[in-house]
Amino acid sequence: MNFRTLTSSFALATLGLGALPGIGAAETFSLWVRSDGSEFMPPLVEAFNAMGEHEANLQIVPVDELVQRYAIASAGGSAPDALSLDLIYTPAFAEAGQLRDMTDFAQGLPYFDSLSPAHLSVGTVNDRIFGVPFSGDASFLLWNKDLYEQVGLDPEAGPTTWAEIADHASAISELGDETYGFYFSGNCGGCNIFTFAPLIWATGDSMLSEDGRTAMLDSDGTVAAIDFYRGMVNEGLVPAGSQTDSGANFFAAFANGNVGISPSGSFAIGALNNNYPDLNYGVAFLPGQDEGQFSSFAGGDNFVISAGTDDSKIPAIEAFIEFAYSLEGQQILVANGAVPVRSDLAEDVFEGLDERYLISAEAMANGRTPYTTVFNDIINSRNGPWITTLNRAFFAESEEEMMQAIEDGQAEMQAIIDAAY
Amino acid sequence: MTVTSTSTADHAPPTPRKPRRAGWHGLVYVLPALALVAVFFLVPLGMTVWMSLHDWPLLGNPRWIGLANYDRMWGDAGFWNAMRFTAHYTVVVTIGLLGVAMGLALMVQSQGRAIAFYRTIYFLPVVTGFASASLLWAWLSNVDAGLFSPAAQMLGMTDRRVNLLAHFDTAFWSVTVMVVWKMAGFYMVILMSGLQSIPSDYEEAARIDGASWFQRFRWITMPLIRQPFALALVLCVSGSMLAFDQFYIILNGGPRNQTVTAVYKIFNESFVSFRLGYGSALSVVLLVILMVLSAIQLCLLRDKGAAK
Repeated sequence: MNFRTLTSSFALATLGLGALPGIGAAETFSLWVRSDGSEFMPPLVEAFNAMGEHEANLQIVPVDELVQRYAIASAGGSAPDALSLDLIYTPAFAEAGQLRDMTDFAQGLPYFDSLSPAHLSVGTVNDRIFGVPFSGDASFLLWNKDLYEQVGLDPEAGPTTWAEIADHASAISELGDETYGFYFSGNCGGCNIFTFAPLIWATGDSMLSEDGRTAMLDSDGTVAAIDFYRGMVNEGLVPAGSQTDSGANFFAAFANGNVGISPSGSFAIGALNNNYPDLNYGVAFLPGQDEGQFSSFAGGDNFVISAGTDDSKIPAIEAFIEFAYSLEGQQILVANGAVPVRSDLAEDVFEGLDERYLISAEAMANGRTPYTTVFNDIINSRNGPWITTLNRAFFAESEEEMMQAIEDGQAEMQAIIDAAY
Repeated sequence: MTVTSTSTADHAPPTPRKPRRAGWHGLVYVLPALALVAVFFLVPLGMTVWMSLHDWPLLGNPRWIGLANYDRMWGDAGFWNAMRFTAHYTVVVTIGLLGVAMGLALMVQSQGRAIAFYRTIYFLPVVTGFASASLLWAWLSNVDAGLFSPAAQMLGMTDRRVNLLAHFDTAFWSVTVMVVWKMAGFYMVILMSGLQSIPSDYEEAARIDGASWFQRFRWITMPLIRQPFALALVLCVSGSMLAFDQFYIILNGGPRNQTVTAVYKIFNESFVSFRLGYGSALSVVLLVILMVLSAIQLCLLRDKGAAK
């Protein structure tokens, strides 16, 4: 249902951030964000409320439940006034008539042209804008510099090809004693579209055609990338628990400090810096087989307004959006792990921040957002063909078994797509 | 007999209205209960049936499609796989649960302070929720951080760590053991109440006649606890047919989607694929299957002696 199941590690509780009521035409509006935004949204809301003019009432919703909860709230007439929505869902929400048309507001912004085009393209339905870019989320590799140093690898040089990932991971696994070279959540569809698919894209291949109508699990790049992971599993570079990890350890495994390399995303920068200040880590692109290739998932949130939101609340909501777009807002977002969505401010926003944030933004700029109307069925579902195939293939004991898994998955994925179109 | 009927005729005025008025009064008394049943059972059931006749997305407008959802089920291999697995699980877990529960009930049926202590111990897991028990089990079964795998290694049962949850057989048995551990105490109490209601003279008489323990169990105990046993069986079968939490939390329906139960399939259709209409249709079919199964069980276990 999500790109990552970070839910378990972060705020499951709802978080209400109040402030003193303002004066004049002060309005209070309710605002939802998925739990992935629990690092960057609360400080942003706090800063906005502290200005004293309007008030945003923030609620953090577990990422797996956001769509259901919204649908239920909407049916009961209690939908949140505004919502930071996973951009993948913007078209579906807009087509279902749930969202307010924001075209005039968006196009009236003086910096409209420098807003993230990837976000805007999924936020636009039938030439009307229903969602404006809010936060970016890129995927990349994390590596543990302390472990690199312990085994005599250059702690400042992260891996740049698949072969280097395997070499480095193998060296770190030599440490033994519950230390492993590589970790990935082997049973989590969302985690792997976010961090494994870019390995395929980096080779120039894909697991799904551009128009989303042809499954390509058996493409050369996909098979090669799967075989790369399978090789590391076979060599014992990956902890056994990976096979059944449906996302609970996606972040925690690396944060605990005994994993050398792990694919992750922008949110991890905020979470690691805020909660694990002692962890000495680096950020590298998700590479391809050859030097110089890399890719990323271009994810994140669009900011949307519910169709039923009272007109009187719109000025307050627009003020919030403009605050998020201001230099101060962008700085808060970036410092807490989000990739900024306004390119004209990039230089000022990144001032004083270390290189890791820049890599995250550059990865985003080279990222892809696969889109298909059956995204949940084929990719995010815990029982969909994407993760079922990867899980079987990554942990296959022979090459035949791996190829069989891929063949089965390819057929199943195509069947679901065919049934939908 | 004659006296009674005469006296009734004499003293009770022949009022045909009286029973009717009594019925009307009775209706008033059961009205609150009826209202509860209507609001919390009949209305949702009716809505489920109504939704099952629509293409009903989570967001957006429903569209009437008649019986198309039911038609679609025949070709849905996922649903039939889920039904097959659910039936398999139900058979295994019912045999396991009622077997263990019967054993426990026989052990704790007599009175005594020590016995009461054991009864409490066996019953204790029942009061844990299924979700929390599942989380506990998922953690215990975790290959890296859990207990089972390192314990097996230490005891020399395996030479390397085994991820219990990664293979169908071990994963399935892990969940089954958890369910038996958690629920056996509940069925123990039901069966125990049956055992305690058997007059001890029967047992003594049989003993004097030289009946063996097994003969006494088969020909005295079992027939006399028929009703509590039927209750336990129906509860156990319907509970298992509706299994969801443990497979969702511990296994995510894996490995390789082999442990997706019927309710899990309904959940996936409704809240992952957002096809509420189809999910409702599957629910209706599952309800009918459950009703038929329960009716068969109750028929088979009906107390024929009492019926005469």
